[in-house]
Amino acid sequence: MWDQVRQALSHSMTKMLSQLASLLPGIVALIVALLVSALFAWVLAAAVRRSLASIEFDRRVAQWGYPGLAEWSPEKSPTLLAARIVGWTVMLIGFLIGMSGFDGTLTSELVARLFAYLPNVLAALVVLAAGSIIARFLARSVLIGAVNMNLQYARLLSAGVKWLVTVLAVTIAIDHLGIGGGIIRLAFGIMFGGIVLALALAVGLGSKELVSRSLDREVSKTSGQNVQEPVGHL
Amino acid sequence: MELDAISQPELEQLERLGGADVVVGILGPQHGQDGVAAAAMVRETLAPLSKVARAVVVCNNGTQSQPSVTPEPAGENGIPAVFTCNLPAPGAADTPQQNISQAYRSVFAVAGKLGVRACGVVASQPQEVTRQWIYHLIQPVLELGFDLVAPRYSRQKMEGLLNRSILSPLHRALYGEQLQNPVGPDFGLSGRLLQQILGQSSEPRHGGATNLLASTASTAASGGFQVCESHLGLRTQPPTDWTNLSSLLAEVLGPVFVEMERQAALWQRIRGSKPLPRFGCTESLSEDSGTVDVHRMVESFQLGTQNLLEVWGLLLPPTTLLELRKLARLPPEQLRMPDDLWARIVYDFALGHRLRIISRDHLLRSITPLYLGWIASYAREMETAGPVEVESRIERLSRAYETNKPYLVSRWRWPDRFSP
Repeated sequence: MWDQVRQALSHSMTKMLSQLASLLPGIVALIVALLVSALFAWVLAAAVRRSLASIEFDRRVAQWGYPGLAEWSPEKSPTLLAARIVGWTVMLIGFLIGMSGFDGTLTSELVARLFAYLPNVLAALVVLAAGSIIARFLARSVLIGAVNMNLQYARLLSAGVKWLVTVLAVTIAIDHLGIGGGIIRLAFGIMFGGIVLALALAVGLGSKELVSRSLDREVSKTSGQNVQEPVGHL
Repeated sequence: MELDAISQPELEQLERLGGADVVVGILGPQHGQDGVAAAAMVRETLAPLSKVARAVVVCNNGTQSQPSVTPEPAGENGIPAVFTCNLPAPGAADTPQQNISQAYRSVFAVAGKLGVRACGVVASQPQEVTRQWIYHLIQPVLELGFDLVAPRYSRQKMEGLLNRSILSPLHRALYGEQLQNPVGPDFGLSGRLLQQILGQSSEPRHGGATNLLASTASTAASGGFQVCESHLGLRTQPPTDWTNLSSLLAEVLGPVFVEMERQAALWQRIRGSKPLPRFGCTESLSEDSGTVDVHRMVESFQLGTQNLLEVWGLLLPPTTLLELRKLARLPPEQLRMPDDLWARIVYDFALGHRLRIISRDHLLRSITPLYLGWIASYAREMETAGPVEVESRIERLSRAYETNKPYLVSRWRWPDRFSP
């Protein structure tokens, strides 16, 4: 009987050791992948940091109309933020490559799913970036146009346009990521409709007098200047 | 160049014509002259000028159906034979500035094809197209050897404000030539200058086709051509469309800033300015009528200062923004825009346009409240002033542009060092 117990123990020990041994190359591969990716991440991050610093990226970001980005960035430097994003992305890719070295069904499937999801993430990022640029461009157009039309609520209009476009872009991005499903669309529909309704009510009821005063002023200004003023520009 | 606008039969006639001495463009959709009447007028105008055998009149009144390129019979005593050529009427969707620019291209193309000695273009309002105008634009070219005849108009103190505040002083500071109207729209050109302009227009360029109105005077200055001014008389201003003032500013200033960029190597070497020879007689003006509502302009300026500082902050240095804030806080009757401040604002906008710091359209439109602020300040100052005071006021402004030119040159050469 003791022989049988010993045999069973030795069998399970061998089985466990062989399983451990079969995992070992995967672990080593993961460590090597992490080390190599850390090296790559460090080199790439340094290159990105140096090249962005040479074009004065921090100043340009503020110039392009994103001064708030510095607040979110480590040490208030968008250059450092970009370098760290690049570094951690390389590390993540290295980790995924290392995980695939285990050759287990679960890890392979996980890696395959993650890679299959990457295009969605990229598309969402592109949508967000494009939405942000378009929102800023339109907001600036509306602001300048409204000021040139002498509208007192120019800033309000501009902010309204900016947030409408931003909300639209965020909704599209979330939809791309497949988060929330129909709820997001429904929420967006309700919110967008609500904003439009609120604006319509504000203009139609709440700001009726303000709008009519403003329009009256515009009309009298335009007609008055055309009739009375001997002003020529060219 | 734009020969596409000319119909095939007229092109063939031009081919057969081979060459001409003078081309006169009479532009503007309502100049009230059909081709035949314009040809008769030009024939009479050119008769006293020596050595003009053949002339072509290009009109853009859209009378395509009329017989074209038909010679007005040459008379005796050296009266020239005059041919007409009609361009299609300007498109309704285009702005007046675009229409004139396109018509200019067609006239220059015809003149270039015919190898003329002189080309005159009258693009002002209809009532101004007179024999004297054409004569004063062509005669200095044909008989006195000038390459460019720029117009000089008699105008009331509140007319030509964009010219007074930006175009004329900027041209003077950049190119060293004191022109009242550097962007015309009425010009006389020699064949030599015309060929130079046509040559550079055919070169591939960034930013689309050359705007001939903006580039004519600067090309003459850069090529060392002989430039003069002719007094043309009174020029009636079209009524101001206040709702589209920003579009007008964008259309006029955009090509001027593009041209400034193109000629940067030249104007950075020029210092000071010189007056140019002038011909013709000045016309005395009647008293100014009507009043200017300065409050509206001050309101626009203040509104701009409240809302557009974040846009201007990308173009203007902090000291300028501070001064603008101070000005905006003043009561309307005390608003005075200092000349140095205004000159630097214009220079900073030109630099911003070159660097594309923000969309060029946004940049050009965002100058509108500042321009209205300048008009308000100028109108207050000149409320009771006579023509002499007005001229000396503009002279002071032009000198401020010249004095501040080193600022522009420094910023142009090292924009990052001076970045706001």
